[in-house]
Amino acid sequence: MGFGRPSNTESTSGSPPLLGSFPLDHEGECKEFMKTYMQCLRDNKNNNGACRELSKAYLQCRMDKGLMDKDDMSNLGYADIMKPAKN
Amino acid sequence: MNKWPGLFKLATMPRSSIQRSCSRPIPGIASRPLIPVQHRSMATSTSKSNSKDNVSAGLYTAALLFGMLGLSYAAVPLYRLFCASTGYSGTVQTDRSKFAPDRLVPQAHAPRRIRVTFESNTSDALPWSFKPELRELFVVPGETALTFYKAKSKAKDDVVGIATYNVTPYRAGAYFNKIQCFCFEEQRLSPGEDVDMPVFFFIDPDFLDDPYMKDVTTITLGYTLFNANKAPHLAPVAPSQPAAMPSS
Repeated sequence: MGFGRPSNTESTSGSPPLLGSFPLDHEGECKEFMKTYMQCLRDNKNNNGACRELSKAYLQCRMDKGLMDKDDMSNLGYADIMKPAKN
Repeated sequence: MNKWPGLFKLATMPRSSIQRSCSRPIPGIASRPLIPVQHRSMATSTSKSNSKDNVSAGLYTAALLFGMLGLSYAAVPLYRLFCASTGYSGTVQTDRSKFAPDRLVPQAHAPRRIRVTFESNTSDALPWSFKPELRELFVVPGETALTFYKAKSKAKDDVVGIATYNVTPYRAGAYFNKIQCFCFEEQRLSPGEDVDMPVFFFIDPDFLDDPYMKDVTTITLGYTLFNANKAPHLAPVAPSQPAAMPSS
């Protein structure tokens, strides 16, 4: 704890995530999606903006295999890359 | 001048101050304070009033003591209320509006991409190798991002690990929001198993409006894995089947 610091400085962080914890993918069901995503990032110099389709595909795989709560992709921040037909 | 030496015990005050303390000098009578006549009764009443004063002082002190004790007990829930409402000093604000879909929009007007680097630490009591798959990722505030950590168990039997994380620089921690990750819940690995642990996060768009964040170009997310077996009060969760998911 620090006294006299401005209130915007965090002294502790560690807030829990919104949707909780990902269940572990013990069987590696979505490993292929992960590999494609990683490869894309390596090709694009780790620029997140270039590989969002693939990260969306990975999360879709998780939802399909029951490793993640099903949710609309626009709630997860993919509204900008959703195809117009889906709206 | 002392006209009645035997009757009065004179106060040993200088004459000038005696004369000042009397409102009107009465001619013929020594203008000196009349202490002696009432001396004895004043002495008794002084001691009585002294003891009364002592008792009341004692009561005030006791009241103050109990008052402070009560305040210190009341401070705990009061402070908790204060922190929860103002979010002071990093208290968790369980405010889902932070994750509303309109906040998860990549900010096109951001001047540059922010570099997010990933670190990992393992406790010595945990026989896992734990590394980030990606060392760094360039994101824009509002853009959701996915990264992975790889953990491999080198133990001979099932080990349960639990992770905590921290964000540096501290002041950027308020803007680092995690949608889903693998922290704070027990993760069980069978011997020799290796698994990919994803982290799904974004940086709050308000990051761009905060003047304190102007010089922040790199944010580092560090995860530390501990051995949950060493904490006896933690019970490992049952191995999750794909159908049964923990919801929080």
